[in-house]
Amino acid sequence: MIGYIARRLAFAVVLVFAVSSASLMLARVAPGDYVTETLGAGAGRQEVEEARARYGLNRSFGAQYRDWLIGALRLDFGRSMQYDRPVADLIPERALNTGILALTALVVATLIGLPLGVVTGTRRTGIVSGAIRAVSLVLLSMPPLLTSLFLVFAAAKSGWLPVGGMTSSSGEGLLRHMIVPVAALALPLVAMFERLQSQAMSETIGQPYVVATFGRGVPLSRVIWRDALKNALRPIASIYGLVVGTLLSGSFAVETITAWPGLGQLMLGALRARDVYLVAGCAAAGSVFLALGTLMSDAALAMVDPRTAGD
Amino acid sequence: MRLSIAALVLLAAGCGQSPTSNKGSASPSGGELTASIRTEPRNFARFGPPETTTYLVALLTQAGLIRINRVTDDFEPWLAQSWTRSADGRQYTIKLRPNVRFSDGQPLTSDDVVFSFDAAYIAGWTDSLKVDGRRLVVAAVDPLTVTVTFPGPFAPGLRILDNMIVLPRHKLGAAWKNGTLQTAWGLSTPPSELAGLGPFVLSAYQPGQRLVFVRNPNYWRRDSAGAALPYLDRVTLDVVPDQSTELLRLESGQGDMTASEMPSDAYASLKRGADEGKLRLYDLGPALNPDLLWINLKPGAFAGDPRASWLQRDELRRAISLAVDRQLFVDTVFLGAGVPIFGPVTSANRRWYWSGIPAVPHDPDQARKLLASIGVNAQRPARLTILTQKGRPTLERGVSVIRDELKKVGVMVDVAALEGNALVQQIYSGKYDAVYFNFLTTDTDPALSTDFWLTSGSAHFWNPEQKTPATAWEAEIDALIRAQAVEPDAAARKRMFDRVQEIFAEHQPAIYFAAPRIFAASSTRVGNVMPAILRPQLLWAPDTLTVSAR
Repeated sequence: MIGYIARRLAFAVVLVFAVSSASLMLARVAPGDYVTETLGAGAGRQEVEEARARYGLNRSFGAQYRDWLIGALRLDFGRSMQYDRPVADLIPERALNTGILALTALVVATLIGLPLGVVTGTRRTGIVSGAIRAVSLVLLSMPPLLTSLFLVFAAAKSGWLPVGGMTSSSGEGLLRHMIVPVAALALPLVAMFERLQSQAMSETIGQPYVVATFGRGVPLSRVIWRDALKNALRPIASIYGLVVGTLLSGSFAVETITAWPGLGQLMLGALRARDVYLVAGCAAAGSVFLALGTLMSDAALAMVDPRTAGD
Repeated sequence: MRLSIAALVLLAAGCGQSPTSNKGSASPSGGELTASIRTEPRNFARFGPPETTTYLVALLTQAGLIRINRVTDDFEPWLAQSWTRSADGRQYTIKLRPNVRFSDGQPLTSDDVVFSFDAAYIAGWTDSLKVDGRRLVVAAVDPLTVTVTFPGPFAPGLRILDNMIVLPRHKLGAAWKNGTLQTAWGLSTPPSELAGLGPFVLSAYQPGQRLVFVRNPNYWRRDSAGAALPYLDRVTLDVVPDQSTELLRLESGQGDMTASEMPSDAYASLKRGADEGKLRLYDLGPALNPDLLWINLKPGAFAGDPRASWLQRDELRRAISLAVDRQLFVDTVFLGAGVPIFGPVTSANRRWYWSGIPAVPHDPDQARKLLASIGVNAQRPARLTILTQKGRPTLERGVSVIRDELKKVGVMVDVAALEGNALVQQIYSGKYDAVYFNFLTTDTDPALSTDFWLTSGSAHFWNPEQKTPATAWEAEIDALIRAQAVEPDAAARKRMFDRVQEIFAEHQPAIYFAAPRIFAASSTRVGNVMPAILRPQLLWAPDTLTVSAR
């Protein structure tokens, strides 16, 4: 098991290095730079050259990358041109905000999606199961962008919830502000978990050992919630890591529409401004989350099915 | 002194209503105003490229020697109480307002003014504080007197100082000495380290969320009744990156205003809200900075290209102007909320707009004749590529209308919508056929926008930074712009600039089709609003704004 975790950690280091390097390179080689973004088309040639020199953008990509890499090894990811602050200072505060949102959404989605999947997986017919399946399909087909827009619209029209932000100067707290973005992130996940769990449950429930257990007179609810559920968790556990990683690396659309000051919003702004070091820093943070998520997923899978630990 | 996509528009042609009177109200003071901003500021001192939010923060926390009144478009004394001008018109002796204190209690002196000019020039983003590329010379005469000497005669005079804020030497002097001024007062600076002469002081900055400002206890202005300004206790700027969300916040009463104008698409929704009494809608009239189409006129840009024989000809540009139905353009691009225009100066610029500018009719037949005269006809159809910015609906809709209208007269247009940065890079490179884009001007006064008008200017987009004028008509514009910039007589300046607009309309180096109407909105509880055409439309005079209870 230790060797397995070590291999995964080594893979995570390579992943972070590759993703952040690729992000830096892509942001750097794309047409335009931070100077073209801020000075605009009407700037003079001399002014542009001076500004590029000021930000070090007149150096070759190789020189820029070498310096960035040496700094990154010391956990110095450069300075954001946009915010004039070290990238290493900007990332943690935004990552924490994204983490709060993502983990809450994940817990909500798990607590709702799994039981619903069990219900629909064990009851093929009936109004309740049918309704759950229909709602799941609708939610799955709606991209988070639309879900966010709809929820923000509903919040604004009803006046029940704050529209955007993480807190209000009027004193409305974090919990009330979280409802819209958490719902926007969690609803598609609820549907996905429900569908996966339903499928796995319906396959498990037909297995001979489940039928035999039921035949021995064990109550149905106990068979379903204790014996069958544990074995039906494997599909969920296998995608859990990816879901965690994706959520934590920042949901661009949800964070932008709901004005949630997270990693996704920060990276989107950095990409627009061509703030290359900040882009690389955000990508590095995202890949760390993805790697951690995958590790968690593997660990969860190993707990559910010990045979996978040796894979 | 240049035009830039990201440039702040600092001066405004006045429009809109006068401030509502506070007379009769028991006390207009107190309360909190919440506005939304789309981006965060870059720093707290306006060191760096012009940017809307950074400018807004400076507007709340800092002050300059003079202020442009955005309703009247006149400049008025601000920290400068009065001034005199030398006989040759080059030197101004400015008396500072006495007993003015920074927010930390330190007195304002002429040393602060001299320091602020030095700081602005050292910071390096000071094109707007130069005349013909040369600096102003500032000297302290006594603790409350400074002289400002221009490098030559300059008609707008002290108007140029609207771009300059007076910074506290006692706070920033050390950074100036050790060469770290450019990075001083960055976003990580604690609010307690900042000091200013504006109506508010920054009380809290929550990255990605909001900036909170509270009343500056030492603010120097009083209203006509002698009451201390500002009226508001607090101003909160919430960061809301998405424009739809900004609008929903306003409609739901969770915000009082936005820092910038509303898109024309939002008009119907805002109008409904206004009709229901939920908010107040301001129609600020036609925009000052309309979108423009220009063709690359750099000599040699199409060397070896068979299209060189017609692509840079005046006739092509005149034909394009005739071929596009401007009313259709208004209806399609701005959903009816716009006006046809025929030149770069719109009626929003009341002082400098030439009402005699010839209207170009929609005349496809005449366009075809002009095209035929340069060898473009059904047998030899013209084809060109127009670049525009992706993700900006009015630009994308506008270029579609141009493409469809030109097709009817035999000019085939390929549209390439590029991401903003890539487009700017392409413009810098000079390798393109034509561009449809938008730029913000830094001033209504042509003497403060010479980068657009002069052939040597970097914002003379169709053929920038020329060593000598490429055409006789451009040379004439150069001469007129230079002459009006030093002409003391306002009427004579206007006549010269009218002639500039006439020449421009004749040769149309950039083609203008329509200007959108600009809308802004606020909650009904906000009082004393003096809406202006330029950003921040409703927040440019923050010290006199009031709010009633929610």
